[in-house]
Amino acid sequence: MKIEFTLNGEAIRVEAPASTTLLQLLREHFGLTGSKPGCEVGECGACSVILDGRVVNSCQLLAPQVDGREVTTIEGIHGPDGGPSDLQLAFLEFGAVQCGYCTPGMVVAAEAFLRRHPSPTRAEIREAISGNLCRCTGYQQIVDAVEATAARRRDQAEGRGE
Amino acid sequence: MGEFTYVRPHSLQEAVRLLNEPGVLSRVLAGGTDLVNQFRKGEVLCDRVVDVAHIPELRTIQDGTPIRVGAAVTHAEIAESRLLLERAPILVRACRQIGSPQIRNIATIGGNVVNAAACADTLPVLVCLEAQAIVVRAGGVERVRVADLVTGVYETQLPPGGLIQAFEFEAPPPGSRMSFQRIGRRQAMAIARLSVAALGAVEAGNGNRVSLLRVVPGAAFARFQRATSVEDLLVGQQPSTERIVAAGQEMARLFLQESGGRWSAQYKEQAIAALTERALHEVLSP
Amino acid sequence: MTERRYVGRPAAAVDGLDKIMGKAKFVGDYQLPGMLHARVLRSPVPHARIVKLDVTPALAVPGVVAAITSEDFAGHSLWGWPIQDQYILAYQKVLYVGHGIAAVAAETHEAAQAGIEAIELELEELPAVFDPARALEPDAPQVPLESPTGQGNLCEKIIVRYGEPDPILECSEVLYEGTFHTGRQEHAYLEPEAALAIPHPDGSVTVHYNGQSPFINQIHLCQVLGLPAEKVRVIQPVVGGSFGGKDDLGYQCSGQVAGLALKAGRPVRLVLGREESMMASYKREPMAIRFRLGADAEGNLQAAKVEMLADSGCFSSQSTLAMLRASLHAAGAYRYRAVHVDTQAVYTNNGFSGAFRGFGNTDAAAAIEQAIDDLAHRLGRDPIDFRLQNCVRQGDRFMSGNVVDHEVKLAECLHWVRDRSDWDRKRADYPARDGDLRRGVGVACYMHGSSLGGEGADYANTTLNIEDDYAITLTSGLTDYGQGSRTVFTLVAAETLGVGPERIHMLRPDTDTALESGPTVASRSTMLGGNATRVAAEKLDRLLCYAAASVLDCTPDRVARHGEIYVNPKEDEASFEEVVDRARQMGLTLSTHGKWSMPHIEWHVEHGTGTPYYCYTFGAQVVEVEVDMRIGQARAVKVWAAHDGGTIVFPQGAYGQMYGGIAQGLGYGLLEEMTYHQGFPQALNFDEYLIPTSLDVPEIEATYIETDFPEGPYGAKNLAEPVLVATAPALANAVFHATGVRHHTLPLTLERVLLGHELRPSRGETACRRALGFDQTKVEVIWQT
Repeated sequence: MKIEFTLNGEAIRVEAPASTTLLQLLREHFGLTGSKPGCEVGECGACSVILDGRVVNSCQLLAPQVDGREVTTIEGIHGPDGGPSDLQLAFLEFGAVQCGYCTPGMVVAAEAFLRRHPSPTRAEIREAISGNLCRCTGYQQIVDAVEATAARRRDQAEGRGE
Repeated sequence: MGEFTYVRPHSLQEAVRLLNEPGVLSRVLAGGTDLVNQFRKGEVLCDRVVDVAHIPELRTIQDGTPIRVGAAVTHAEIAESRLLLERAPILVRACRQIGSPQIRNIATIGGNVVNAAACADTLPVLVCLEAQAIVVRAGGVERVRVADLVTGVYETQLPPGGLIQAFEFEAPPPGSRMSFQRIGRRQAMAIARLSVAALGAVEAGNGNRVSLLRVVPGAAFARFQRATSVEDLLVGQQPSTERIVAAGQEMARLFLQESGGRWSAQYKEQAIAALTERALHEVLSP
Repeated sequence: MTERRYVGRPAAAVDGLDKIMGKAKFVGDYQLPGMLHARVLRSPVPHARIVKLDVTPALAVPGVVAAITSEDFAGHSLWGWPIQDQYILAYQKVLYVGHGIAAVAAETHEAAQAGIEAIELELEELPAVFDPARALEPDAPQVPLESPTGQGNLCEKIIVRYGEPDPILECSEVLYEGTFHTGRQEHAYLEPEAALAIPHPDGSVTVHYNGQSPFINQIHLCQVLGLPAEKVRVIQPVVGGSFGGKDDLGYQCSGQVAGLALKAGRPVRLVLGREESMMASYKREPMAIRFRLGADAEGNLQAAKVEMLADSGCFSSQSTLAMLRASLHAAGAYRYRAVHVDTQAVYTNNGFSGAFRGFGNTDAAAAIEQAIDDLAHRLGRDPIDFRLQNCVRQGDRFMSGNVVDHEVKLAECLHWVRDRSDWDRKRADYPARDGDLRRGVGVACYMHGSSLGGEGADYANTTLNIEDDYAITLTSGLTDYGQGSRTVFTLVAAETLGVGPERIHMLRPDTDTALESGPTVASRSTMLGGNATRVAAEKLDRLLCYAAASVLDCTPDRVARHGEIYVNPKEDEASFEEVVDRARQMGLTLSTHGKWSMPHIEWHVEHGTGTPYYCYTFGAQVVEVEVDMRIGQARAVKVWAAHDGGTIVFPQGAYGQMYGGIAQGLGYGLLEEMTYHQGFPQALNFDEYLIPTSLDVPEIEATYIETDFPEGPYGAKNLAEPVLVATAPALANAVFHATGVRHHTLPLTLERVLLGHELRPSRGETACRRALGFDQTKVEVIWQT
């Protein structure tokens, strides 16, 4: 069936069986392999994408469910020049990346969260990423990176008089 | 996963028509977090999924007498609702603990009820609020008490071709308090091992006696019901610690009576007494 | 000491950029033209004879291109190290639920699955054994085709013999006896096993597999494929976590795709689903550990006798070596006058056990640190004081009888965690509180023998080459699967060569270009690989210095550096590129090789004596818990951790390893246990096997106490595994402080804390069959009753 949606800012039209999950569609049809299969039952968050501004597990959505909606994947999160965003740079700075498999989902979840919650506490950050399992980092530096990014964005907003 | 078609009705009538089309086995898709897993495991087969997540009547949170929450409202939306936080905080508390942020952003209250897992978090809360489900089917609309709708583990009385439009409940009376106690194996992304939802009120003018009490355990019994024998120990009485402890013991006794043979009974028997006491303290103690 | 520019300074992981952008490609992300998809037919029962196995019907399924069994390999696909008891695909018997029997490659996943289902398989169920004690009885069903010891299911026996503890224990004023049990832990790497094989026209094959040790994989592949080394190339891609867990099953997957690819003449990729991975992959061995400890009236430990029983499952895998390490750490980081350890690893039909971060020390420390805590309590002593009194110092004889003569900062680690956690006040205050929520603090400390020790030849090789574009490429036989070794090697090379880290590129580990360096295990990468890198870099630096002297018209000893710039005493400058150009003109070969070997030590396994490790690292942790007494829920509220690991090369990476190790330790102590019922794993996915989330891991305060260890690269030792070892026992000891009850078994689940024992549903057969793709009506599987 035809599915039309916005993918990383671009209007997309694709033909796929209704039973295709969004994760399969992204990886197999579009070659967007940033979203990862970790469990395929919605328990690890490695497949996270942003749907209409909210983080969701793409393995839990049938592709047609996103018809008419906006999807952002890790490939759609970057700085204005196409390089890393401030959050992504903070991940590097704080050592929040080890094996990298949970990382796209983690960045997506954190970015979706920061867009709606610009002044989070560490506990709130932990809750925001509580649907993203990480086996390498113990989460602490990820929380550091998100906290620092939030503070920097607030400073920049203040600097712009917002 | 099986092969099926997908259709997205934009009105309730269209949804009902699609779900009742002869010769086509249709399933309701709201968030899909349960259904997609069931497809993957081959537990469910159908010809067509009907995506009801965009039907306006299923998407509202409305104040009023009664308060109405659409069946396709997500757990995240409930958790963020100022209205519900004010009027039915245990519903907010329960929905905040379901799954993960990702799951809460798509899974719906209607899906949680209709899936009717033993550990479903909205169910003890809805029964505690004495909620009714507005059930729409080909023949018309009817209201069914949520307590009657769910008849067992993964079993409801929802008629074939029917769907839930919304849930309605009266706002708890002013001065009443609510509690939702829950045990999960870890601090996030954990199903309820056991839960207790409670609503109560104490009348200052009547010697501080309990004037209202509803207690509903979750992940404990096959059905979600008020534990009336527990409530009876306190209604019209002063909520002393001794009485609350006795009420917890009564809940444990009820539990053992129904499920004594189960593997989990030895743990749940003690834990349910604890959760019951805590819920009662939260709603009744000064 | 000159100020260091790169080692020990903040740095970003050199491979981090692609990972945070989602551009890093894992094996499951690769797309190759003509690539086929593989699926493996796996056993739905724990022990059975293969009566009939016919894969020809699979070939008739549309889309299926090739199908293989053990007969498509040399020696029936037998492999394994140190004991050869595994097969790439089952031969004669299946030994566990999930055991790979046959493999199919097809154009699509669906066709491969249909191919699997078409295979004719007849299994005759055999009596199975699930209890390790029972497995040792002479009349127990034998699991392996051949017993490596000649004694049925006894896989390996290990001893440690230091002095004679029996007479000392008989006279000890204080005698402690206790038994502890540890659980079977699943690695739970976020990326499941995957392998891709590409056949070449000359009959060779290249395999990409997401494990740790490409050279070991190459050796096994050569054996089972019957090919010489130059025809088998193994490349390690980006790996989504391993923790010791992706090797043996990874080698099986590699063999399966290589066999299929060579038969099909096309690339073949196998990616395991999560249920398949949890069922088929190995776990940390569960253990029963029994102690007899003797002390004098002043609380000085005198002697120890330890008996350990490990469930190795159906293959020996790395269990024998893990049990060696467990035995060498069994009595802990304490001074004794005599210690005997007797360990048995046993075959059963409960999946199989193998390497997992900590490699035996995780289990051993979990037990001894609880036993020591128990003993301290009975003596009325503070647990930290008791440890400070008895813990090893430089020059002491360790529990394996060897004297250790390098700096030991274990006591400093204990002091640090004591101070930062406010230990003394909490130890006094917390038991006085009442109410449903109780708090407790617990401590544990450890030693961890560095690198392979007596396990094998211990060396590493690094090469450096300056390319035409002035970039420096580095190869190492040791790999990075998330633990940061790539960055460590880069920083060491940068420091030694005086160039920026961005100039250095470590190539993907490749058996064609790197030099064999043993397995990437035992936290050995920093010390071994770092030293090999330093050696290679020093050689290259001397060549460049020689060339710089020519450019700057001075003697090499007068050449100085300002950043990358070479300078002579007159302050004339030459850029790196100029110096490289001159070196080439001079005919110098700007390509060097460095090898570094651990100094030779000898452990005599038959006698249980000798020097098991060249050096050790140490550490201590305090965990604070809150326990809800009415529902049995314990949760960690804070962790303090100190590790003595020499110099820290890559700080963000080192702290990341510490936090991550602690998270795994909390899981081991509180949440994680892969139980088997009648051979069926009870958890198949992350909804059932619970690992800590961001809300389960509390804030951690950690430090690295730097010691002087001149043999390491810039003084570095190792850290990746030991940082996990103290967490679970510290947590258990904290729960004791909070509740007054010691449970002797990990993990401390809700039921165990509330009731003192586990409750278990017994399920699994149906779930496993469904997860394996067995439908009662589709596959011919007949078993005899």
